[in-house]
Amino acid sequence: MGEGKPDLLQGTLDLMVLKTLETMGPQHGYGIARRIEQISEQALRLNQGTIYPALLRLRQRGWIRAEWGTSENGRKARYYTLTKTGKAQIDTETESWERVAATMARFLAVSEGR
Amino acid sequence: MSWLRTAISRMTAMFRRRRLDCELDEELRAHLEMAAEENRRRGMTEEEAGQKALRDFGGVTQVRERVRLREGMPLLENLQRDGSYALRMLRKSPGFAAVAIGSLALGIGANTAIFSIAKAALLDRLQVPHAGELRLLAWRSKRQSVVHSSWGDWDKTADGVSSTSFSYPVYLQMRKQNHALADLFAFKNLGRVNVTVDGEAEVVQGDLVSGNFYEQMEVRPQLGRPIGPADDEKPGGSPVATISDGYWTRRFNRSPSVIGKTILVNLVNVTVVGVNPRGFTGAKGTQSSPEIFMPFSMQPLVFPYSRETSLLTSDRVWWMQMMARARPGVDEAKARAALDVALKSAVRATMTVKPEESMPDLVLGDGSRGMNEASRQLAHPLLVLMSLVGLVVLLACANMANLLLARSAARQREMGVRLALGAGRARILRQMLTESVLLSVLGGLMGLAVGYFGRNAILAMFSSPADPTTIQGSFDWGVFGFNAALSVVTGILFGVGPALDATRTQVTSTLKDAAQTTTRRRKGFAGRAIVGFQVALSTLLVVVAGVFLRTIINLSRVDPGFDPRNIVLFELRPPQTEYPGAKEAALFQLIVERLRAVPGVESVTPTSVAPLSHSYENDDFLPEGRKQGHDDIADNSTVGDEYFATFRIPIVAGRGFAETDTETSPKVAVVNQALAKQFFPGQNPVGKSFTTSDEKDNKLMYQIVGVCADTRYGSLRENPPPVFYVDYRQAPAINWGMTFAVKTRTSRAAIAPSLRRAMQSVDRNLPLTDVRTQEEQIGELLQNEHVFADLTAGFGIVALMLACIGIYGLMAYAVSRRTNEIGIRMALGARAEQVLGMILREAVWMTAIGVAVGLGCALAVGRLIASQLYGLQAWDPVTLSGAALLLVAVALGASWIPARRAAAVDPSRALRES
Repeated sequence: MGEGKPDLLQGTLDLMVLKTLETMGPQHGYGIARRIEQISEQALRLNQGTIYPALLRLRQRGWIRAEWGTSENGRKARYYTLTKTGKAQIDTETESWERVAATMARFLAVSEGR
Repeated sequence: MSWLRTAISRMTAMFRRRRLDCELDEELRAHLEMAAEENRRRGMTEEEAGQKALRDFGGVTQVRERVRLREGMPLLENLQRDGSYALRMLRKSPGFAAVAIGSLALGIGANTAIFSIAKAALLDRLQVPHAGELRLLAWRSKRQSVVHSSWGDWDKTADGVSSTSFSYPVYLQMRKQNHALADLFAFKNLGRVNVTVDGEAEVVQGDLVSGNFYEQMEVRPQLGRPIGPADDEKPGGSPVATISDGYWTRRFNRSPSVIGKTILVNLVNVTVVGVNPRGFTGAKGTQSSPEIFMPFSMQPLVFPYSRETSLLTSDRVWWMQMMARARPGVDEAKARAALDVALKSAVRATMTVKPEESMPDLVLGDGSRGMNEASRQLAHPLLVLMSLVGLVVLLACANMANLLLARSAARQREMGVRLALGAGRARILRQMLTESVLLSVLGGLMGLAVGYFGRNAILAMFSSPADPTTIQGSFDWGVFGFNAALSVVTGILFGVGPALDATRTQVTSTLKDAAQTTTRRRKGFAGRAIVGFQVALSTLLVVVAGVFLRTIINLSRVDPGFDPRNIVLFELRPPQTEYPGAKEAALFQLIVERLRAVPGVESVTPTSVAPLSHSYENDDFLPEGRKQGHDDIADNSTVGDEYFATFRIPIVAGRGFAETDTETSPKVAVVNQALAKQFFPGQNPVGKSFTTSDEKDNKLMYQIVGVCADTRYGSLRENPPPVFYVDYRQAPAINWGMTFAVKTRTSRAAIAPSLRRAMQSVDRNLPLTDVRTQEEQIGELLQNEHVFADLTAGFGIVALMLACIGIYGLMAYAVSRRTNEIGIRMALGARAEQVLGMILREAVWMTAIGVAVGLGCALAVGRLIASQLYGLQAWDPVTLSGAALLLVAVALGASWIPARRAAAVDPSRALRES
């Protein structure tokens, strides 16, 4: 029970949460988790609970902001919003992801070309 | 800077722990409800919906944990929780806590106090810039040296003498010829001077300094001006003085009006021109500052040296100290050689050197601690004290170790349960660590208090009203830190060590009591080893205490050779300007008559050497008809007619002094038996003559008219030396003023005012100083020995208590663990007394080994303290066996209760409760 998760996984989850908030606007934890499940078409078998440590992390870094609000069915829930720095972080992360993807693509193309 | 934001967020979260927990719970609950609702919409039953929501979520508790881990500062929070738990555990066993903390506090406190004092006395430097550059000049020569009259240090070395005193003309010449070191400057501690400020008289310490003193010491006064070269030109031409910061505070209330104020110093008008900076203590020592500083030019007026018109021009008297700075880069060997040449040429220029006399060789010593007298006198005793107190700290740590071991063994079950419940090993170890550290911290805090007050108490023990050099120095945090660290390390070792062991074993075995056998044996050995160590240390400390106690008892029992009871002593220094030469003798006569007339007084005598006050006077002693040799020196004392009667010293042959021995009648002397034995072996000295010299080196002949019994002279430890006495009316020279001894029929408090009135009737301005009784004087002599006996006795008692507790704890624990075994024994027929005997035998056996080791150590280190003992050897068998018996008795006493408990075990119950 520790912080042993590889950075890559953490980073990807963070980016997914940020992206979700960018697209969907302010959302509560359950909503974010469901959306990630949908987009990944159930390919990612993450326990929904794992989103909360990630949300706390993002909050501590100042990339998202939390407020208490009311949900669709009148329930009290915590809503997360993207901040300006968070938005900038998306661009930085997206760039780095695209770079990784491009490098990987080149490697795969090379081995295929053999 | 996101890590910074994270850090801040985590720190602030620490304080809102509860609210954050609440919020998280609510958020998670909302999540689960929303998930369940969606599942219900999809068509599941309520139960299924809830279960699926939980499954999809994953482990709720784990998520909570992970969030909490990120939120606050878990390390600090756990520490805080561990700390409060540890406090609760300590409060539950107050006895254990009290003993552990108490013994730690005592050990740490005592150690810190003594080390602070030792450091201040031995290592403190003069508070001047670059104190390390200062060099103190001294000289060495064979026993028969050119110097006949000296005031100050006079150390007898293996084959001669050494001293730091020089004559003023020699100083002037050497200063002119010095090119190697920086400018030579001079100082002299006069000792006690009478100062009258606004009509109120008191006795303070005074120093003489040369005109370049302040400049060379690189010290500037905080108020007014320093003494400068212009003040040191003409004798008496510049009656100025500077005062110390302490004196300024004490006497003048730090008022700036002190500058320009006129005060009386030894009845001479002097103007205060400056105040020294705080912390400046002059050049003599580091511990305390003389109150008043005057230029050397003031000596003839303020501190006249009887019969010499001025010490500034006297070639004969060597009395003042010299220092110089050795700037970096100076070749000190060359400098010393150059100054040596200067010294010898100065001696030849100012004195006549006889063929049998040896010239002085110059020595350059370290001056950064001044003349370092405190260090010389106290170095050895302080080192001994430091070692002893270090042993006490070890004992205290051993005690704590023992207690911790016993406790952790008792808590093995608790740890087994915790492990079973899922606590990590690291967590348990951290808990034990916190407990041990808490103990050490509490012990350390209390040790701080003990150290602070203990230091003041010990300083008070060392100082005396006559010797105002009290050791100051600040509380030494370095030593305290070391001690605290030592106790923390002990706590960690013995608190965590067993815990490491316990958590390594299988959970099941610790939960079962029967599985104790293997672990118990190992712990038993550690416990025994520690207690054995404690016993050995205690034995050593008790032996040391014993020898010091016996030393002080032996010294107190020494027969001084005279009757010290009911004798009042006081000092008198008549100013030379008013009582020169013969007038001084007439003054003494008058004083004796007036004092004798006071009701309650039996007899009165002046004496130049007060008995047993570390005061010495010696002079040439050449029996008639013999050629001058190398050893013809004897101690002497200039006394009054009633000297032998006042001190009840028997005259064994011939007579004492009488009124008929006047300035004009033939010169007579009385010698003691030791002198008769040395200089006139086998003969009757009465009627024989001898010559001695006066301050101008004239030879005077005396006839011996009586022999008196031997008495101790300067100290109780030395055997009675050869002494000759002359009457003050026929004395060759009176250098120091006199001590007056008054034998009274009543106690001192009653008679002192009458004595003062009698003195005032002789001369209003003659101050009576240093009033004390002969017994108090002897007490002062033995003060160091008293302090030692008290301190070591204290250590010995603490050591015994700790050993007692250690033995009791170990035996009690052993008995409680062996209840099973004892039950079986008794069931098989052992009688209660046999069980009792078994436990006691074990305790004595363990103690015996410890005692043997302790005695061995005592024998080994005995040599180190032998020089401080008196009347017994360091391996004194009586003390050694006494200590051994005492420890065994303590061991028996300490194990009595556990042994009784073992004997009272009810076999059937013991076997049932396993």
